[in-house]
Amino acid sequence: MADQTTARSSTAGDSGGVDRALAGTRDLAVATEEILAALGRAGANSGEILDIVIERAVRLCRAHAGQLHLNEGDVYRLSRGSSLVPDAFRRYSLDHPIARDRRSLMGRVVADRTTQQIGDVLADPEYGRQDLQRLSGFRTLMCAPMILHDEVVGALSVWRLEVEPFDDQHVELLSAFAAQAAIVLRQVDLTTELESKVDQLETLRMVGQAVTETLDPDEVLSRILRGAVEIADADGGFVAAYDDADGSMEVRVLTGDQDDLLARLEAAIDDPETPNVFGRFGTAAIQGELLAIPDLAQETTDPVVDVLLADGWRSLVGIPLQREGALLGHLVVERSTPGGFAADTHDALLTLAAQSTAALVNARLFRELQTKSAELEVASRHKSEFLASMSHELRTPLNAVIGFSEVLLDRLFGELNERQDEYVRDIHNSGRHLLELLNEILDLSKVEAGQMTLEPTVFRVTDALEYAASLVRERAARHGIRLSVETAPDVGTVSADELRFKQVVLNLASNAVKFTPDGGAVDIRAEVLAGELLVTVTDTGVGIPPEDRERIFESFQQGGRGVAREEGTGLGLTLSRRIVDLFGGRLWLESQVDVGSTFGFSIPMGTPSDAGDGKGQHPLLLLVDDDRASLDLVTAYLEGAPVRLVRAHDGEAALRCLATDRPAGVVLDIRLPKIDGWEVLSHLRADPSTAHVPVVIVSVVDERTRGLEEGANEYLTKPVSRDELVGALVRAGLPMTPLTGAGVEGAP
Amino acid sequence: MTGERILVVEDNPLNLKLVRDVLDAAGYDVVSATSGEEGLRVAAERTPDLVLMDLQLPGIDGTETLHRLRRDGMAPDVPVVAVTAFAMAEDHARAERAGFDAYVEKPISVRSLVHQVRQLLDGRVS
Repeated sequence: MADQTTARSSTAGDSGGVDRALAGTRDLAVATEEILAALGRAGANSGEILDIVIERAVRLCRAHAGQLHLNEGDVYRLSRGSSLVPDAFRRYSLDHPIARDRRSLMGRVVADRTTQQIGDVLADPEYGRQDLQRLSGFRTLMCAPMILHDEVVGALSVWRLEVEPFDDQHVELLSAFAAQAAIVLRQVDLTTELESKVDQLETLRMVGQAVTETLDPDEVLSRILRGAVEIADADGGFVAAYDDADGSMEVRVLTGDQDDLLARLEAAIDDPETPNVFGRFGTAAIQGELLAIPDLAQETTDPVVDVLLADGWRSLVGIPLQREGALLGHLVVERSTPGGFAADTHDALLTLAAQSTAALVNARLFRELQTKSAELEVASRHKSEFLASMSHELRTPLNAVIGFSEVLLDRLFGELNERQDEYVRDIHNSGRHLLELLNEILDLSKVEAGQMTLEPTVFRVTDALEYAASLVRERAARHGIRLSVETAPDVGTVSADELRFKQVVLNLASNAVKFTPDGGAVDIRAEVLAGELLVTVTDTGVGIPPEDRERIFESFQQGGRGVAREEGTGLGLTLSRRIVDLFGGRLWLESQVDVGSTFGFSIPMGTPSDAGDGKGQHPLLLLVDDDRASLDLVTAYLEGAPVRLVRAHDGEAALRCLATDRPAGVVLDIRLPKIDGWEVLSHLRADPSTAHVPVVIVSVVDERTRGLEEGANEYLTKPVSRDELVGALVRAGLPMTPLTGAGVEGAP
Repeated sequence: MTGERILVVEDNPLNLKLVRDVLDAAGYDVVSATSGEEGLRVAAERTPDLVLMDLQLPGIDGTETLHRLRRDGMAPDVPVVAVTAFAMAEDHARAERAGFDAYVEKPISVRSLVHQVRQLLDGRVS
């Protein structure tokens, strides 16, 4: 047909054509530059750039108006139009896309992939879109395909209202603009894709972080769900947890407040028709497959789908939550519109599921651990109770064994012959041994349960060492073992739990004596080194081979050397090491086979010697009582009071402390071992350096008059209440700011 | 010396026998009870000069028995001694707080028990 001009019809050889060609090239170059500039501008959106393309195409082709259509499945729909495109045409075009057929120019262009024009649409017998012609009034129409990756993604058209076909120059220009529009689209596509990927990654990152921030399994699930709904731009969803013990699914979290939906879901899941399977969801999840239902209304009957559909769900996607092949649960998000979710949303949800399951596993492990440790705590308490009751049950008969054998050994009811004496002594020793074992087991279990508390007092190291030596001296003498105690001159007092300290020294000393051959030597030494007190017990025994040096610290392990004359409990070293640990020190062993062994321990030196003479420090109060319980009670009464406390268990220790620590006050018991309270009081008042120190006597002995006459400031009779004690200290001149909290009542 | 009367409240027959025999041999007049309730009765009838009381007793325990003894009008200068298990520091503390005058640790040492009882009886001279 004459009206239909194929593009690229030659006009070469026409000199005016050359000029126009040059002008056209220049125009195109300028337009391209503008488009590239717009593309490079940050924040420029695709519409803005495409508008530039259309406007330039219209102007350079000397057309009346232009438009750009984009491919949508089988049709091409109007995307943008130039300024002179009538509104009615625009609206109409949106609802009436153009099909790929020869009834329209665009249909032919996308089919032939070439730029074409119709000189007069009204004269084209094949043309079938008169509807569009009426609304726009175009007569001459030209259209160029936008081809990207071999696909016609859109078409760019321009038109004139008069019948005036476009020349070759215009055909080329439009083709070039269409190619540029395609590039713009690709660029924009890439950018949009990138942006949405970045958004998605950011959301994934935030969800991942939120998920790992909690250790509550249900909270983890609910954060996964919230993240999934956000990423998928969904309207809601739920997560079901899978129990692989019985293969059941249980809905654990739902978006929104949907208790009734939960109840209906549970009912559907519990449907006897689908026992423990959870319908299609369970099947898909168990098989590890993604479940996508674009329209629930089109689904075959499934109890769960029915419930969801009734609740307003139309489309959904379900993702199995798996960890190392094991199913943990099922994540489902939904929309209230049909249509399903895009493939990249599926991918994002799968990524989310993959990164969240670790957190879910962790949360579950943590929950298990919590349960386990609660169980262990109960078990440990049972063990402690068992040990306490067992020790009582065992002690009662032991008391009789030890007591009666002692009565016999004391010849309370008559003489024994030599053999009887020997046997009774064996009975007595065995009883003592059993009792020692019992006590060590109890001590050890206390240490292990964290229930052994130390009660530090200030005592002289030499005294403690001599005490331990005195208990093994007899045995040492029996075997001709020389026993010595040596204390370096700078070793004075130490602040530690005296009873436990002696226990350790005694254990080391008695081990040394036990394992030293007749005629050997055992030396107990103490020195101060780098702020630590070092106590060593050296023997001339058989030594301990290197392979046994750690083993002997384990329970019930004894050195397997030579003939053990005496059996130990096998717990002594274990217990000693634990006690020294509690002191904040360490216990070690140096040994040479056939030469001997040295067991040593170190403990940090307390610093009780800086007296309470100002410098913002609280004054030092000396508590003297031989009864630990009384000391504990007084200590408890004075908790929170502005004083530091130091304890002494007997009169001698009290006098030493008075001389070295210069306490600002004394709480004194009367009945004391070695030197009694009366003597302490008279020494204290006789010494000019301590004569002024206030003394409060607290004793069961009710000799108030004598106490006050001999120089006590206050005299209290046990039992004492806290208020009485604090009142007496205040009257004696020791400032006690009022103590907070309810008063601890003493016995009436 | 003596003839002073000592009430021993102890539920274990062997331990009771041991303490009784030792105190007997030391010349005391020993009366006994195997529960707190019986201890209260015996104390009311026989007016002891000193009471040795096991803390763990069937029925009312040693502490409660002590409270009732004092409430029922036993002379306040009669020392009441708690018998506690060794290594049970909390027992000592409890005994002290409950108002016992002293405590004896198990296993009872024959020598120190006699000594301790003597000291307490001498100490109550007012």
